[in-house]
Amino acid sequence: MVRFNSADEVQFFRDNLQSESENNLETEIVVGLGTCGIASGAKDTLEAIEKELEWKNIKDIKISQTGCMGYCVGEPLVEIRQGDARVLYKNIKDFKVEELLQQHLIEGNIVERWQVDEDLDFFKAQKRIVLKNCGLIDPESIDDAISNGAYKGLVKAITEMDQEDIVNEITVSKLRGRGGGGFPTGMKWKFALDSSGEKKYVVCNADEGDPGAFMDRSILEGDPHRLIEGMIIAGYAIGANYGYVYCRAEYPLAIKRLRKAIEDAEEYGLLGEDILSSGFDFNLKIRLGAGAFVCGEETALLASLEGQRGEPKPRPPYPPQKGYKGYPTVINNVETLANVSDIIYKGRRWFKSIGTEDSPGTKVFALAGKVKNNGLVEVPMGTKLGDIVFDIGGGLINDGKFKAAQTGGPSGGCIPIEHLNVPVDYDSLKELGTIMGSGGLIVMDQQDCMVDLAKYFIDFCKDESCGKCTPCRIGTTRMLEILDKITKGEGEQEDLDLLLDMGEKIQDSSFCGLGQTAPNPVISTARYFMDEYKAHIEDNYCESSRCASMFDSPCQNSCPANVDVPKYIDLVRQGRYKDAYKEIQRENPLVLVCGRVCYNLCEPSCNRRSLDEGIAIRELKRFVSDIVPKIEGGYPIPKIKSEKNEQVAVIGSGPAGLTAAFYLRKQGYQVKIFEASSVLGGLLAVGIPEFRLPQDKLNEEITVLTTMGVEVEIETEIGKDITFEELRKEGYKAVYLAVGTHNDIDIGIEGEKLDGVYNAIELLKKINLGQSIDMSGKKVAVVGGGNAAIDVARNAVRMNTDEVNIIYRRRKEEMPAHGEEVEEAEYEKVNMYTQVNPVKILGEKGKVSGLECVRIEEGEFDYSGRRRPKTIENSNFELDVDIVVLAIGQNVDDMFNSGDLNIGMTDNNLIKVNENKQTNIPWIFAGGDCITGPSTVVESIKQGKDVAREIDIYLGGDGEIISPSEIEREVSGKIIEEEKPQVKMPKILLSQRIKSFKEIEKGYSEEQAQEEASRCLRCDVENK
Amino acid sequence: MSNKESNINVWVDEVKYETEDSLTVLELLREIGTDIPTLCHLKDISTTGSCRICLVEDQGSGKLVAACNTPITDGMRIETNNKRVRETRIMNLELLLSDHEVDCPSCIKNKDCELRQITEAMGIREVSFPGEKNEFKKDISSPSIRRDPAKCINCGRCVNVCQNIQTVNVLAAEGRGFTTRIGPVFYNELANSACVMCGQCAAACPTGAITEKENISDVWKVLNDPKKHVIVQTAPAVRVALAEEFDEEPGTAATGQMVTALKKMGFNNVFDTQFTADLTIMEEGTELINRIKNNGDLPLFTSCSPGWINFIETFYPEYLEHLSSCKSPQQMFGALANSYYLEKNKLSSDELVVVSIMPCTAKKYEANRPEMINDVDYVLTTRELGQMIKQMGIDLFDLPESDYDKIMGSSTGAAAIFGATGGVMEAALRTAYELLTGKELPGIDFQEARGLSSGIKEAEVEINDLKLRVAVAHGLSNAREILEAMKAGKEYHFVEFMTCPGGCIGGGGQPISREIGVLEKRLEAIYDIDKKKELRKSHENPEIQLLYNEYLKEPGSELAHKLLHTEYSSQSIY
Repeated sequence: MVRFNSADEVQFFRDNLQSESENNLETEIVVGLGTCGIASGAKDTLEAIEKELEWKNIKDIKISQTGCMGYCVGEPLVEIRQGDARVLYKNIKDFKVEELLQQHLIEGNIVERWQVDEDLDFFKAQKRIVLKNCGLIDPESIDDAISNGAYKGLVKAITEMDQEDIVNEITVSKLRGRGGGGFPTGMKWKFALDSSGEKKYVVCNADEGDPGAFMDRSILEGDPHRLIEGMIIAGYAIGANYGYVYCRAEYPLAIKRLRKAIEDAEEYGLLGEDILSSGFDFNLKIRLGAGAFVCGEETALLASLEGQRGEPKPRPPYPPQKGYKGYPTVINNVETLANVSDIIYKGRRWFKSIGTEDSPGTKVFALAGKVKNNGLVEVPMGTKLGDIVFDIGGGLINDGKFKAAQTGGPSGGCIPIEHLNVPVDYDSLKELGTIMGSGGLIVMDQQDCMVDLAKYFIDFCKDESCGKCTPCRIGTTRMLEILDKITKGEGEQEDLDLLLDMGEKIQDSSFCGLGQTAPNPVISTARYFMDEYKAHIEDNYCESSRCASMFDSPCQNSCPANVDVPKYIDLVRQGRYKDAYKEIQRENPLVLVCGRVCYNLCEPSCNRRSLDEGIAIRELKRFVSDIVPKIEGGYPIPKIKSEKNEQVAVIGSGPAGLTAAFYLRKQGYQVKIFEASSVLGGLLAVGIPEFRLPQDKLNEEITVLTTMGVEVEIETEIGKDITFEELRKEGYKAVYLAVGTHNDIDIGIEGEKLDGVYNAIELLKKINLGQSIDMSGKKVAVVGGGNAAIDVARNAVRMNTDEVNIIYRRRKEEMPAHGEEVEEAEYEKVNMYTQVNPVKILGEKGKVSGLECVRIEEGEFDYSGRRRPKTIENSNFELDVDIVVLAIGQNVDDMFNSGDLNIGMTDNNLIKVNENKQTNIPWIFAGGDCITGPSTVVESIKQGKDVAREIDIYLGGDGEIISPSEIEREVSGKIIEEEKPQVKMPKILLSQRIKSFKEIEKGYSEEQAQEEASRCLRCDVENK
Repeated sequence: MSNKESNINVWVDEVKYETEDSLTVLELLREIGTDIPTLCHLKDISTTGSCRICLVEDQGSGKLVAACNTPITDGMRIETNNKRVRETRIMNLELLLSDHEVDCPSCIKNKDCELRQITEAMGIREVSFPGEKNEFKKDISSPSIRRDPAKCINCGRCVNVCQNIQTVNVLAAEGRGFTTRIGPVFYNELANSACVMCGQCAAACPTGAITEKENISDVWKVLNDPKKHVIVQTAPAVRVALAEEFDEEPGTAATGQMVTALKKMGFNNVFDTQFTADLTIMEEGTELINRIKNNGDLPLFTSCSPGWINFIETFYPEYLEHLSSCKSPQQMFGALANSYYLEKNKLSSDELVVVSIMPCTAKKYEANRPEMINDVDYVLTTRELGQMIKQMGIDLFDLPESDYDKIMGSSTGAAAIFGATGGVMEAALRTAYELLTGKELPGIDFQEARGLSSGIKEAEVEINDLKLRVAVAHGLSNAREILEAMKAGKEYHFVEFMTCPGGCIGGGGQPISREIGVLEKRLEAIYDIDKKKELRKSHENPEIQLLYNEYLKEPGSELAHKLLHTEYSSQSIY
């Protein structure tokens, strides 16, 4: 049996272990058995490996366990080691074991599809000190720990340093408390060293209670000796012979492994009496807490340790003066203590070389929430938040858009998108109104409501308050009540004022850290997301579709056109297609159009996504528009309320104009649409490619309007063919300007005037109107990453071109174009030159001959949360192209301002309107892209409705333009809660695509539609 | 503010003060006469700092701190009443009110409620927080104490008294967050707990959350019943405190007025518990002498204080043999009323109702003990008596003085001092010394047993060749200390135990006052009564002598044992 009597013996033992392992070429299979691994089925995997090896009769293979490797999203993780060679496999559920072992061990192939790429930023961007051995060693083997460097710091401390030296080393290293407060550890130790006491204690706070934080647990589970060593050194430094690890009882595995580690260390003479013959005794015990959040507060922790109720006590006296049972006590967090041995062994200079000046070292974060690589990461202090989220974390799941990150758990606050550049250290976070906390980092996307988030955390604190002091006990409950009111849409401005006022006072007057920080999430979310609070209060609207009392269903809530989705889906399920059409048409007259080109903003909020996949809402809408004319011979025409004499002119027949015309006519007004182009539909007709929205289909839907009695006049451009004054004279009482954004923005580089340079909208119009443009055999470059750019590129693919390239200055994921469109374009073989910017269009004889570009690297995060493009000097290169299409944005073509009446414009050349959508001329209204800038079809529909409502009111109506639903909200069939993926939309083949402009999507069959419709969970029905 | 060496400078509202460095901010503010509201703070008992009402701004740190538990430091600058301080105090007060059952007009604590007083002083007219209130059930299980957690503000004063002053540890906080409830552990009712019913929690409570269980209506009912013959006894400590219920200076004795008031209320006879206090000395003194002479269990423990009886039965049953078998003066009176008095007045036991006025809540329980259930019918506290007098529309001090009625109304100075800590000891020594030595106790005033400055007082009295070691303990933590010392080998002959700090003058049923020095003033009044008494030794009481002569024969007689003695048994629940 090993028992060390001196420092030399430890080193000798380590040397032996290391040379043994170097000479060992035996294959080792290591399974990650942290709580994360076990929860994902790692025990089954381990068992399967054992069985499989036995079955295959493979011997001489060592199977071992290790703690959390940090890459929790890949659990169960299995690593196969042979000497220095290591291959890490992810998501190895038990059923994959057979194939993995067959391939890797017998065939000698690495199974690449399951392999974790060690070059991932997830691993590369980390700097591991405290997690160094986690996921590497067997946490239940002290030999493994010693072989990997454990107890080196202790040996050095005991043999080479005295108490003052150690305290000084820690002080100068500027190690700060990793529990979240950031108090200088050396200073704490110094107080305890200087306090006289018959006994002294070192207490490790392992009462990790922040929702979403699990770094302490992982250290205890993965490398318990690192903590033990840190505690012995702390004890030696301050003269404490007793130590306690205060750990929550909910961490059984951590406790088991720590207990084993303590026993082993005692057996080896590293813990207990007369450690390494130094004369120093250190006794370490584990105390279990019942999991009270307040026991993270040190005086409450001590009370609990003493067997009393976990309530805080007044400070002073501070624990280093009078702590456990009245004796000087140092209380440090697990991660703080886990840093100690390396600081002692490697020295303060080494430590200070990592991190920032005032916050040296690293910090472990538990990455959780909507981030792809959920897990545990350790980064140098000062790493940018954006780098953690996007590089290490891999960005957001489901192509979500980053909204904010919560640090510090319930005691912390959120950091919004505009602060992604914040270096993560104690002081920088504090400036943003949040705290480092113990390292929980919860990433949130657009589906997360910040009011709801604040409510969640206040609810947590309310439950976890010890109940001692008034503001925390009652105040948090009152805050929760107010937040509850707001999330139910019953809040008033005064409630919000009171909430924030009391939040500050609770911070100001609570007894301990819990109450002093409990309002932080509220104050922090209000600081950055006041608009959301206001929307909840003033508009009864929760943008993230979280606050369920404010809407019937999340899909309807997130639909700009407010379509009652579950109702029409249910009607499809029942085969009542005409009713389904009418139900959609009630809120959105462009059923066919949206069934084809809507970017289904509703789908991300579909609750079914948490089960399997969201409902194919757009596809079902398309189906309705397909089947209704087949069985009814046309679309249902809504009744005109009652004929009115007033005439209204709608300028522009895009989605905004068509929608307004529809509703105004339905109200009974005499409506006439003036369209500059030769076809109706605006950008729907001239911008969206034929293969996405065929012109004849579009016309079918427009027929509904003309049947209702809407008049149209094409090839009539306002400002040119007709003026506002003339309209007025003709008796129009109101004019709606819905002219869209048809003016391409110039890029401002040399060569724009060359032959072969086109603007995107101009080109799209030409293509859609069938004007011949010869692209055959040409090489095309499209500059830009928006929808127009993609549409041009996809059109070009179909025009017998040689090659089509997209030139975009940011990353592909950051393209403003819809993700599905980008995917389709790639599928259709469009080349993506990303992080590239054009600098010059090259020409020969007045014709385009090429495009000179530079490469772009990523700079800091900008306010939109994207990295700012930065030109790489001397990275210029030339692309051989014949056609250059510039698609970098559009604004309003203000031809209408050529008459006497002048419509006010904004700085961005958009039309300026008041809250009633009126321009500076009260009878002229505006809406759609021309007031917002390029947007989505469904957003334009919303705008059209808004303007129709305003015009109705202006003309003396009540603004009630939407007729009530005739469909009752009820469940008509069984709700399928079993997993059942989306029915995929049938599409034409690639080979067909490049030959023609044929519509790509074929539409659902009736059977498919009913199958898909049956997946709806009917969130809208309260009592199912 | 004398000690120059440790003096420091502190600025309060921009005025500089030179002061001792050992004070808390609150102590300093009180010393310089700056009043700030406090709720959870109770001098010498509670500095939990939980209510967050006594907040002041520490300009150095820029933080709000609780004055009650923040020590002053050199150079400290304190703002006691700026906007931030005031508004935060008001919010916390409103929060407390938002979870408080506000029924002030009919609340038993109305006049003495500190929450109401502070609310009034702060001028709160409306509470900003309509919201859920805790719905805790009232606890009426105990015969002595009534708990109404819906009025509790979780200040912790009762917990501190129960845990630290009385070491009974019945009251504690349970649960978390908003539903944290203070009460008997494991959500028990008081009756199922180890509560000794001393009522110190009720005395400490700033609101109506813990009070005595009132018997006022029961007593009015029998007084209004012509078929009932209702007599009353008044304990020694009541007469020196009752005046406070009528806003008179503490320490004002109101014996004569009280007797008049009781007669006006309709009691058939008004007697004095001091009469049976003298009797207790006769019986207990005899018991002591017998135990000494016959090598009985020593030390002898006094048994007048019912809270103490509950305490020893629950926590130290192994020492029950040491407890005097004498009933308490209240119970002796009850026993005599139902025998001696009944016979003399030819009354039937159905007619007779015996009422006690006591400074004590535990007496209510004592009167209901199965061992002596028939002795006393109703017990009222000093506060309840004050309330009844007020109900009659009488100002106590407008009344003429009257004397107690005969045969159980006369008493000596020795009986008067029963109301103070050390009093029973002193009274016993006055008699025992004289009975054993034939001489009067030197100086008669036994100073070693007197006073409030220490919780345990010890002395040695030479009686013939015996050095009698005696001790006096008041407050149950001190009782516990003596018993633990005995366990460790300490020896005594005679020990007086009083449940409440100060003895009965500090009883749980006494008027509630937060003024400093009230107990001392009540104490002075007691000794003043003693001093003014013609007879100061129990055995000199002529009515006592008459009682023995015509009824009991001699102390410790068979009849005396039957009526005046009892037995106690272990009530340990642990």
